[in-house]
Amino acid sequence: MSVPAATASTSTASPAVSHRQRTRALNVRQVSKSFHVNDEPLHVLDDISFTVNPGEFVSILGASGCGKSTLLRLIVGLDDDYEGEIALGDDVVRGTSLDRGVVFQDHRLLPWLTVEENVGLGLKNAKLTKDERAKRVREHLALVGLNGFEKVFPYQLSGGMAQRVAIARGLVNRPELLLLDEPLGALDAITRIHLQEELLRIWRTEHLTTILVTHDVEEAIYLSDRIVILNTRPGRIKRIVTVPLSRPRDRLSHAFADIKREVLEEMAIANPGAPARVAYAEDI
Amino acid sequence: MSSVQTTTLAPPISAQAVSSRRQRTGPGAVSRWFGRAIPWILPAAILAAWQVAVSYKWIPPILLPAPSRVLNSALDMFAEGLLLTDFFTSLKIVLHGFAWGAVLGLGLGAYAGLSRTVERVLGPTLDSIRQVPPLALIPFVILWAGVGDLAKLIVISKAVFFPIFLNTLQGIRSIQREHIEVGRVLRLSRWQLVRHIYLPGALPSILVGIRYGAGLSWALVVAAELISGHAGLGYLIQRSQDLLFTDQMFVAIIIIASFGLLLDRSLKALERHLLRWKPGFIN
Ligand SMILES: Nc1ncnc2c1ncn2[C@@H]1O[C@H](COP(=O)(O)OP(=O)(O)OP(=O)(O)O)[C@@H](O)[C@H]1O
Ligand SMILES: [Mg+2]
Repeated sequence: MSVPAATASTSTASPAVSHRQRTRALNVRQVSKSFHVNDEPLHVLDDISFTVNPGEFVSILGASGCGKSTLLRLIVGLDDDYEGEIALGDDVVRGTSLDRGVVFQDHRLLPWLTVEENVGLGLKNAKLTKDERAKRVREHLALVGLNGFEKVFPYQLSGGMAQRVAIARGLVNRPELLLLDEPLGALDAITRIHLQEELLRIWRTEHLTTILVTHDVEEAIYLSDRIVILNTRPGRIKRIVTVPLSRPRDRLSHAFADIKREVLEEMAIANPGAPARVAYAEDI
Repeated sequence: MSSVQTTTLAPPISAQAVSSRRQRTGPGAVSRWFGRAIPWILPAAILAAWQVAVSYKWIPPILLPAPSRVLNSALDMFAEGLLLTDFFTSLKIVLHGFAWGAVLGLGLGAYAGLSRTVERVLGPTLDSIRQVPPLALIPFVILWAGVGDLAKLIVISKAVFFPIFLNTLQGIRSIQREHIEVGRVLRLSRWQLVRHIYLPGALPSILVGIRYGAGLSWALVVAAELISGHAGLGYLIQRSQDLLFTDQMFVAIIIIASFGLLLDRSLKALERHLLRWKPGFIN
């Protein structure tokens, strides 16, 4: 189909994962979603439309409760009760699919399975032999830097390690689209920066199309090609900001700060109650 | 274990470091020895008091035979072969009854746990049957099934069924929605969901039911044999009472207690193994 993914690919050779046949664009068209809470309709998403190109890294940024997770669940296919349409290439999203890998905010590892069993669970229905399966699991644990931990149970892992296992599980089926719901939200600043680097590396080597939900402005700018900024109540697209910086990005550069200011201003207007622009200018 | 290849900036931690967290740190050897001895202190004291009470003739031997006397008759009974026969008679019925109750309880409990319709169909009937104490059923069951093993089997199965059924149902209902969503995201089939998510998630609860049911069945077989039967440990007690063989009665009681303890401890060990994934799992 389209070209962009191919250009980024050649730089780093992938140790683990072969090349996918196809990569398709994700189209979200006029999606609205309401919940019913005590018989009152709660309008969460309103007329959301955007496209994620093949191989692109897009962040969804918004305040807590604006409907980011809800939107991601719709794309995952965990909830089919909405208006509008979501399609990957020509295929309308209905239910979950192994084409779409997910990493949840809480790692959601199954506590009764070891690290390798957790990652391997995603391959239960893959048409692979036992050896191929084991190899694939090993490769993906290596990809997130966790070989040697195959037999360990989740409770024996640190938060960052558990999150990396969850990333390996999300990737093990070689999805064409990777959906990340604040996967680094609960981590300390240092681990967070490590894992951001790791996400970038994986995104590059696996030629993934990636959607990252976050409420961390800096994380969104550091990682993404474009940032979808959501309004609160109902969640509506405020603006889509393109990040024109080349990678690797310098968080301390002027260009980075300029974009950060731009995004923060956009979000400040989105929340009338939030502090005025001046405060943010000092902040930077 | 192989060294960790850190492909990233992540801090190097070895898998050994993780497993060594579970290592037990204890004080010196003396107190460790004392720690081992603790569970034996009370039984030893009881035995001593028993021996003293008999030696000083505080209690007539017909009511309380000396420990040595009990041991002797145990050896005699063992040599005659009767003791083992009685023991295995009881054990066989327990195992049968337990197996039936457990299989039915697990199967129906899982089925009802997975489907509210099934639960609603079974619920009221089972709840009312549950209210009838197992022993109250015995005369009726004997009427229908005779005094043979079948009657005991039915009573024991019924008693084992409920704790396992209810705990399985409860366990499956308490599975986190988040874990089920993981299964959906990974496109697991219905059976794979049950096998890899519902059952292991419900296992802690199921094991509580199994342990409870096992204890119940062992106690019940003796009770059932006391009421009806012509073999088994319960019958042995019944017969000893008739003949005023207090020592034999004690032998039977001690065997019932010891085996019950062994059963419970084995199930605990099994539970510890099966639930080794649970953080801070303590019995
Ligand atoms: N199953 C549900 N039933 C009813 N309301 C829900 C449900 N799920 C989410 N909501 C509501 O929808 C709104 C958006 O929730 P959502 O989880 O998508 O927010 P979010 O943007 O991901 O927030 P955060 O950044 O805190 O994770 C919230 O007001 C929440 O109360
Ligand atoms: Mg969320």
